[in-house]
Amino acid sequence: MEIKVNTGILSANEQKAVENRSLFEKDRVFTINIMGSPGSGKTTVLEKTIDILTGTVRLAVIEGDIYTSKDARRIEKHGVPVEQINTGGACHLDAKMVSGVLNKFDLTGLDLMIIENVGNLVCPVEFDLGEDLKIAVLSITEGDDKPMKYPLLFRESGAVILNKMDILEFTDVDLQALRQDIYIINPDIKIFEVSARTGQGIDQWADWLTDRVNNKLKEKTAK
Amino acid sequence: MHEMALMAGVFDIIRENTEDLPEKNVTRVTLVVGEMTNAVPEALEAAFEVYAKGTPVEGAELVIKNVPLMAKCRGCGWEGKTEKHVFMCPGCSSLGMEVVSGRELYVESLEVDGDGD
Ligand SMILES: Nc1nc2c(ncn2[C@@H]2O[C@H](COP(=O)(O)OP(=O)(O)O)[C@@H](O)[C@H]2O)c(=O)[nH]1
Ligand SMILES: [Mg+2]
Ligand SMILES: [Zn+2]
Repeated sequence: MEIKVNTGILSANEQKAVENRSLFEKDRVFTINIMGSPGSGKTTVLEKTIDILTGTVRLAVIEGDIYTSKDARRIEKHGVPVEQINTGGACHLDAKMVSGVLNKFDLTGLDLMIIENVGNLVCPVEFDLGEDLKIAVLSITEGDDKPMKYPLLFRESGAVILNKMDILEFTDVDLQALRQDIYIINPDIKIFEVSARTGQGIDQWADWLTDRVNNKLKEKTAK
Repeated sequence: MHEMALMAGVFDIIRENTEDLPEKNVTRVTLVVGEMTNAVPEALEAAFEVYAKGTPVEGAELVIKNVPLMAKCRGCGWEGKTEKHVFMCPGCSSLGMEVVSGRELYVESLEVDGDGD
Protein backbone atom coordinates (compact mmCIF):
# COMPACT_ATOMS: atom_id res chain seq x y z
CA MET A 1 0.00 0.00 0.00
CA GLU A 2 1.30 3.45 -0.91
CA ILE A 3 0.89 6.36 1.51
CA LYS A 4 1.06 9.86 0.05
CA VAL A 5 2.99 12.02 2.48
CA ASN A 6 4.29 15.24 0.89
CA THR A 7 5.74 16.58 4.14
CA GLY A 8 8.82 18.79 4.19
CA ILE A 9 11.81 17.11 5.79
CA LEU A 10 12.59 20.37 7.58
CA SER A 11 8.99 21.11 8.52
CA ALA A 12 9.53 20.48 12.25
CA ASN A 13 12.43 22.94 12.22
CA GLU A 14 10.42 25.44 10.22
CA GLN A 15 7.58 25.34 12.76
CA LYS A 16 10.01 26.02 15.58
CA ALA A 17 11.59 28.84 13.55
CA VAL A 18 8.16 30.43 13.14
CA GLU A 19 7.76 30.35 16.93
CA ASN A 20 11.18 31.97 17.43
CA ARG A 21 10.42 34.58 14.80
CA SER A 22 7.18 35.55 16.51
CA LEU A 23 9.03 35.94 19.83
CA PHE A 24 11.56 38.24 18.15
CA GLU A 25 8.74 40.08 16.36
CA LYS A 26 6.81 40.64 19.57
CA ASP A 27 9.66 42.67 21.03
CA ARG A 28 10.93 43.96 17.66
CA VAL A 29 14.33 42.37 18.09
CA PHE A 30 16.21 42.36 14.79
CA THR A 31 17.96 39.01 14.47
CA ILE A 32 20.89 37.96 12.29
CA ASN A 33 22.35 34.51 11.71
CA ILE A 34 26.08 34.69 10.94
CA MET A 35 27.54 31.84 8.92
CA GLY A 36 30.91 30.99 7.42
CA SER A 37 33.86 28.59 7.57
CA PRO A 38 35.67 27.92 10.83
CA GLY A 39 38.35 30.58 11.09
CA SER A 40 36.80 33.01 8.61
CA GLY A 41 36.67 35.53 11.44
CA LYS A 42 33.03 35.45 12.51
CA THR A 43 33.79 35.98 16.20
CA THR A 44 36.40 38.66 15.55
CA VAL A 45 34.03 40.58 13.25
CA LEU A 46 31.39 40.26 15.94
CA GLU A 47 33.70 41.58 18.66
CA LYS A 48 34.56 44.64 16.55
CA THR A 49 30.89 45.15 15.67
CA ILE A 50 29.82 44.99 19.32
CA ASP A 51 32.38 47.63 20.28
CA ILE A 52 30.99 50.00 17.65
CA LEU A 53 27.34 49.36 18.45
CA THR A 54 27.66 49.51 22.24
CA GLY A 55 25.82 52.57 23.51
CA THR A 56 23.54 52.86 20.49
CA VAL A 57 22.12 49.38 19.97
CA ARG A 58 21.11 47.05 22.79
CA LEU A 59 22.31 43.66 21.64
CA ALA A 60 22.87 40.11 22.80
CA VAL A 61 24.69 37.16 21.30
CA ILE A 62 24.03 33.45 20.90
CA GLU A 63 27.20 31.46 20.20
CA GLY A 64 26.96 28.14 18.42
CA ASP A 65 29.82 25.70 18.73
CA ILE A 66 30.15 21.94 18.52
CA TYR A 67 31.76 21.43 21.95
CA THR A 68 33.47 24.50 23.41
CA SER A 69 32.43 27.82 24.91
CA LYS A 70 35.57 29.71 23.89
CA ASP A 71 33.74 32.14 21.61
CA ALA A 72 31.13 32.94 24.25
CA ARG A 73 33.91 33.83 26.68
CA ARG A 74 35.46 36.14 24.08
CA ILE A 75 32.09 37.90 23.61
CA GLU A 76 31.45 38.15 27.36
CA LYS A 77 34.48 40.40 27.71
CA HIS A 78 32.67 43.00 25.60
CA GLY A 79 29.97 43.36 28.22
CA VAL A 80 26.96 42.02 26.35
CA PRO A 81 24.64 39.15 27.33
CA VAL A 82 25.75 35.92 25.66
CA GLU A 83 24.52 32.33 25.71
CA GLN A 84 26.45 29.35 24.42
CA ILE A 85 24.82 26.51 22.53
CA ASN A 86 26.86 23.34 22.22
CA THR A 87 25.48 21.18 19.44
CA GLY A 88 27.27 18.07 20.71
CA GLY A 89 28.55 17.05 17.31
CA ALA A 90 25.98 18.60 14.98
CA CYS A 91 27.43 20.81 12.26
CA HIS A 92 24.70 23.45 12.48
CA LEU A 93 22.32 25.19 14.86
CA ASP A 94 18.63 24.44 14.55
CA ALA A 95 15.57 26.41 15.63
CA LYS A 96 14.94 24.18 18.62
CA MET A 97 18.42 24.78 20.04
CA VAL A 98 17.93 28.54 19.70
CA SER A 99 14.49 28.31 21.26
CA GLY A 100 16.07 26.55 24.24
CA VAL A 101 18.19 29.58 25.20
CA LEU A 102 15.79 32.40 24.33
CA ASN A 103 14.23 32.42 27.81
CA LYS A 104 17.65 33.35 29.23
CA PHE A 105 17.41 36.77 27.58
CA ASP A 106 15.23 39.75 28.38
CA LEU A 107 14.03 40.25 24.81
CA THR A 108 12.01 43.34 25.71
CA GLY A 109 15.26 45.15 26.49
CA LEU A 110 16.97 44.21 23.22
CA ASP A 111 17.17 45.72 19.74
CA LEU A 112 19.46 43.17 18.11
CA MET A 113 20.16 39.46 18.53
CA ILE A 114 23.28 38.13 16.83
CA ILE A 115 23.58 34.38 16.37
CA GLU A 116 27.00 33.00 15.43
CA ASN A 117 26.38 29.65 13.80
CA VAL A 118 28.70 26.64 13.85
CA GLY A 119 31.62 27.16 11.45
CA ASN A 120 30.52 25.47 8.24
CA LEU A 121 29.70 26.69 4.71
CA VAL A 122 27.18 23.99 3.90
CA CYS A 123 24.88 22.76 6.63
CA PRO A 124 23.70 25.77 8.69
CA VAL A 125 22.08 27.51 5.72
CA GLU A 126 19.36 24.85 5.48
CA PHE A 127 18.12 25.50 9.02
CA ASP A 128 15.98 28.58 9.56
CA LEU A 129 16.45 29.82 13.13
CA GLY A 130 13.80 32.54 12.98
CA GLU A 131 16.26 35.26 11.95
CA ASP A 132 15.51 38.34 9.85
CA LEU A 133 18.71 38.04 7.87
CA LYS A 134 21.44 35.56 7.10
CA ILE A 135 24.95 37.03 6.93
CA ALA A 136 27.89 35.23 5.32
CA VAL A 137 31.46 35.79 6.48
CA LEU A 138 34.09 34.75 3.94
CA SER A 139 37.76 35.43 4.52
CA ILE A 140 39.73 36.13 1.38
CA THR A 141 42.32 33.56 2.43
CA GLU A 142 39.74 30.84 1.70
CA GLY A 143 40.11 31.49 -2.02
CA ASP A 144 37.88 33.16 -4.59
CA ASP A 145 36.24 29.92 -5.75
CA LYS A 146 34.18 29.50 -2.56
CA PRO A 147 30.96 31.28 -3.62
CA MET A 148 30.64 29.12 -6.75
CA LYS A 149 31.43 25.99 -4.73
CA TYR A 150 28.99 26.82 -1.93
CA PRO A 151 26.40 29.00 -3.65
CA LEU A 152 23.41 28.40 -1.40
CA LEU A 153 24.84 30.39 1.53
CA PHE A 154 25.48 33.37 -0.74
CA ARG A 155 22.12 33.03 -2.47
CA GLU A 156 20.30 33.10 0.87
CA SER A 157 22.33 35.81 2.61
CA GLY A 158 21.45 39.50 2.78
CA ALA A 159 25.07 40.53 3.10
CA VAL A 160 28.51 39.01 2.81
CA ILE A 161 31.44 40.22 4.85
CA LEU A 162 34.70 39.68 2.97
CA ASN A 163 37.11 39.54 5.88
CA LYS A 164 40.89 39.69 6.27
CA MET A 165 41.32 42.39 3.65
CA ASP A 166 44.49 43.42 5.50
CA ILE A 167 46.28 40.42 4.01
CA LEU A 168 44.89 40.69 0.48
CA GLU A 169 48.35 41.40 -0.94
CA PHE A 170 49.62 38.04 0.31
CA THR A 171 46.90 36.09 -1.48
CA ASP A 172 46.21 35.36 -5.15
CA VAL A 173 42.57 36.37 -4.79
CA ASP A 174 41.04 38.23 -7.73
CA LEU A 175 38.71 40.53 -5.83
CA GLN A 176 36.84 41.69 -8.93
CA ALA A 177 36.13 38.11 -9.98
CA LEU A 178 35.11 37.21 -6.45
CA ARG A 179 32.62 40.08 -6.28
CA GLN A 180 31.29 39.21 -9.73
CA ASP A 181 30.73 35.56 -8.72
CA ILE A 182 28.87 36.63 -5.60
CA TYR A 183 26.62 38.98 -7.60
CA ILE A 184 25.89 36.27 -10.17
CA ILE A 185 24.63 34.05 -7.36
CA ASN A 186 22.77 36.90 -5.63
CA PRO A 187 22.52 40.34 -7.29
CA ASP A 188 20.72 41.82 -4.28
CA ILE A 189 23.45 40.98 -1.75
CA LYS A 190 25.47 43.69 0.04
CA ILE A 191 29.22 43.12 0.00
CA PHE A 192 31.41 44.59 2.75
CA GLU A 193 35.19 44.43 2.44
CA VAL A 194 36.55 44.51 5.95
CA SER A 195 39.45 43.63 8.18
CA ALA A 196 38.39 42.65 11.64
CA ARG A 197 42.07 42.93 12.56
CA THR A 198 42.58 46.58 11.56
CA GLY A 199 38.94 47.63 11.76
CA GLN A 200 38.91 48.68 8.10
CA GLY A 201 35.37 48.63 6.66
CA ILE A 202 33.72 47.57 9.91
CA ASP A 203 32.10 51.01 10.28
CA GLN A 204 30.22 50.67 6.99
CA TRP A 205 28.97 47.24 7.96
CA ALA A 206 27.95 48.44 11.43
CA ASP A 207 26.12 51.46 9.94
CA TRP A 208 24.25 49.26 7.50
CA LEU A 209 23.29 46.88 10.29
CA THR A 210 22.20 49.75 12.55
CA ASP A 211 19.90 51.03 9.78
CA ARG A 212 18.21 47.66 9.65
CA VAL A 213 17.84 47.53 13.42
CA ASN A 214 16.37 51.04 13.43
CA ASN A 215 13.87 50.16 10.72
CA LYS A 216 12.60 47.42 12.96
CA LEU A 217 12.50 49.76 15.96
CA LYS A 218 10.38 52.22 13.97
CA GLU A 219 7.84 49.46 13.61
CA LYS A 220 7.97 49.18 17.40
CA THR A 221 7.18 52.84 18.05
CA ALA A 222 4.62 52.90 15.25
CA LYS A 223 2.72 50.14 16.98
CA MET B 1 27.05 16.25 7.19
CA HIS B 2 23.65 17.59 8.23
CA GLU B 3 22.12 14.68 6.33
CA MET B 4 21.95 12.83 9.65
CA ALA B 5 19.74 15.63 11.01
CA LEU B 6 17.66 15.61 7.83
CA MET B 7 17.22 11.85 8.08
CA ALA B 8 16.10 12.20 11.71
CA GLY B 9 13.33 14.40 10.29
CA VAL B 10 12.49 11.79 7.65
CA PHE B 11 12.14 9.10 10.31
CA ASP B 12 9.90 11.33 12.45
CA ILE B 13 7.69 11.75 9.39
CA ILE B 14 7.70 8.01 8.72
CA ARG B 15 6.69 7.33 12.33
CA GLU B 16 3.86 9.87 12.27
CA ASN B 17 2.50 8.35 9.08
CA THR B 18 2.71 4.69 10.05
CA GLU B 19 2.15 4.43 13.80
CA ASP B 20 -1.63 4.01 13.49
CA LEU B 21 -1.40 1.48 10.67
CA PRO B 22 -1.72 -2.30 11.00
CA GLU B 23 1.09 -2.77 8.48
CA LYS B 24 4.22 -1.54 10.13
CA ASN B 25 6.72 -2.79 7.61
CA VAL B 26 7.97 0.04 5.41
CA THR B 27 9.31 -1.24 2.10
CA ARG B 28 9.97 1.97 0.21
CA VAL B 29 10.61 5.61 1.11
CA THR B 30 10.49 8.23 -1.66
CA LEU B 31 12.16 11.59 -1.13
CA VAL B 32 12.15 14.60 -3.43
CA VAL B 33 15.43 16.53 -3.30
CA GLY B 34 16.05 19.71 -5.27
CA GLU B 35 19.40 20.42 -6.89
CA MET B 36 19.74 23.64 -4.93
CA THR B 37 19.60 22.07 -1.50
CA ASN B 38 22.77 21.19 0.30
CA ALA B 39 21.69 17.56 0.75
CA VAL B 40 24.05 15.05 -0.84
CA PRO B 41 22.24 11.88 -2.04
CA GLU B 42 25.08 9.53 -1.00
CA ALA B 43 25.10 11.02 2.48
CA LEU B 44 21.31 10.70 2.68
CA GLU B 45 21.59 7.04 1.71
CA ALA B 46 24.23 6.38 4.36
CA ALA B 47 22.16 8.15 7.01
CA PHE B 48 19.09 6.18 5.94
CA GLU B 49 20.89 2.89 6.60
CA VAL B 50 21.94 4.08 10.04
CA TYR B 51 18.44 5.16 11.07
CA ALA B 52 16.67 2.15 9.52
CA LYS B 53 18.72 -0.44 11.36
CA GLY B 54 16.61 -2.40 13.81
CA THR B 55 13.38 -0.60 12.83
CA PRO B 56 10.44 -1.62 10.58
CA VAL B 57 12.17 0.42 7.87
CA GLU B 58 15.25 -1.81 7.77
CA GLY B 59 15.75 -3.20 4.28
CA ALA B 60 13.42 -0.66 2.67
CA GLU B 61 14.35 0.88 -0.64
CA LEU B 62 15.23 4.57 -0.55
CA VAL B 63 14.19 6.39 -3.73
CA ILE B 64 15.57 9.90 -4.21
CA LYS B 65 13.89 11.95 -6.93
CA ASN B 66 16.10 14.81 -8.00
CA VAL B 67 14.60 18.10 -9.13
CA PRO B 68 16.78 20.24 -11.39
CA LEU B 69 17.38 23.91 -10.64
CA MET B 70 15.07 26.02 -12.82
CA ALA B 71 15.03 29.81 -12.75
CA LYS B 72 13.04 32.60 -14.36
CA CYS B 73 14.36 36.01 -15.43
CA ARG B 74 12.63 39.00 -13.85
CA GLY B 75 13.68 41.10 -16.83
CA CYS B 76 12.89 39.22 -20.04
CA GLY B 77 10.89 36.28 -18.70
CA TRP B 78 13.35 33.60 -19.89
CA GLU B 79 12.77 30.40 -17.93
CA GLY B 80 14.80 27.24 -17.89
CA LYS B 81 17.44 25.04 -16.36
CA THR B 82 20.18 26.96 -14.62
CA GLU B 83 23.64 25.45 -14.54
CA LYS B 84 25.67 25.41 -11.35
CA HIS B 85 23.73 28.21 -9.70
CA VAL B 86 24.81 30.73 -12.31
CA PHE B 87 21.91 33.12 -12.07
CA MET B 88 22.79 35.13 -15.16
CA CYS B 89 20.01 35.13 -17.73
CA PRO B 90 20.98 33.38 -20.99
CA GLY B 91 18.36 35.54 -22.69
CA CYS B 92 19.33 39.07 -21.67
CA SER B 93 22.41 38.62 -19.45
CA SER B 94 20.72 40.37 -16.53
CA LEU B 95 21.21 39.08 -12.99
CA GLY B 96 17.71 39.16 -11.55
CA MET B 97 16.55 35.56 -11.63
CA GLU B 98 14.05 33.84 -9.40
CA VAL B 99 14.26 30.18 -8.45
CA VAL B 100 11.31 28.28 -9.90
CA SER B 101 12.30 24.82 -8.69
CA GLY B 102 15.27 23.12 -7.09
CA ARG B 103 14.69 23.97 -3.41
CA GLU B 104 12.43 20.95 -2.76
CA LEU B 105 13.21 18.73 0.20
CA TYR B 106 10.33 16.54 1.25
CA VAL B 107 9.05 13.01 1.83
CA GLU B 108 6.77 12.25 -1.10
CA SER B 109 5.43 8.81 -0.24
CA LEU B 110 5.89 5.56 1.66
CA GLU B 111 5.19 1.99 0.62
CA VAL B 112 4.08 -0.28 3.46
CA ASP B 113 3.58 -4.03 3.62
CA GLY B 114 0.14 -5.63 3.59
CA ASP B 115 -2.83 -5.21 1.28
CA GLY B 116 -4.60 -2.10 2.45
CA ASP B 117 -7.49 -2.75 0.01
N1 LIG C 1 44.80 38.90 9.42
C1 LIG C 1 43.55 38.81 9.90
N2 LIG C 1 43.23 37.81 10.75
C2 LIG C 1 41.96 37.76 11.22
C3 LIG C 1 40.98 38.70 10.84
N3 LIG C 1 39.81 38.37 11.45
C4 LIG C 1 40.07 37.28 12.19
N4 LIG C 1 41.36 36.90 12.06
C5 LIG C 1 42.03 35.76 12.70
O1 LIG C 1 41.47 34.58 12.19
C6 LIG C 1 41.41 33.57 13.21
C7 LIG C 1 39.98 33.04 13.35
O2 LIG C 1 39.14 34.08 13.81
P1 LIG C 1 37.77 33.80 14.54
O3 LIG C 1 37.11 35.11 14.73
O4 LIG C 1 37.96 32.95 15.74
O5 LIG C 1 37.00 32.96 13.40
P2 LIG C 1 35.63 32.12 13.47
O6 LIG C 1 35.99 30.69 13.65
O7 LIG C 1 34.99 32.36 12.14
O8 LIG C 1 34.82 32.69 14.59
C8 LIG C 1 41.91 34.23 14.47
O9 LIG C 1 43.27 33.88 14.62
C9 LIG C 1 41.76 35.71 14.19
O10 LIG C 1 42.67 36.50 14.90
C10 LIG C 1 41.37 39.74 9.92
O11 LIG C 1 40.58 40.60 9.51
N5 LIG C 1 42.65 39.73 9.47
MG1 LIG D 1 33.83 31.76 16.16
ZN1 LIG E 1 16.48 37.80 -19.08
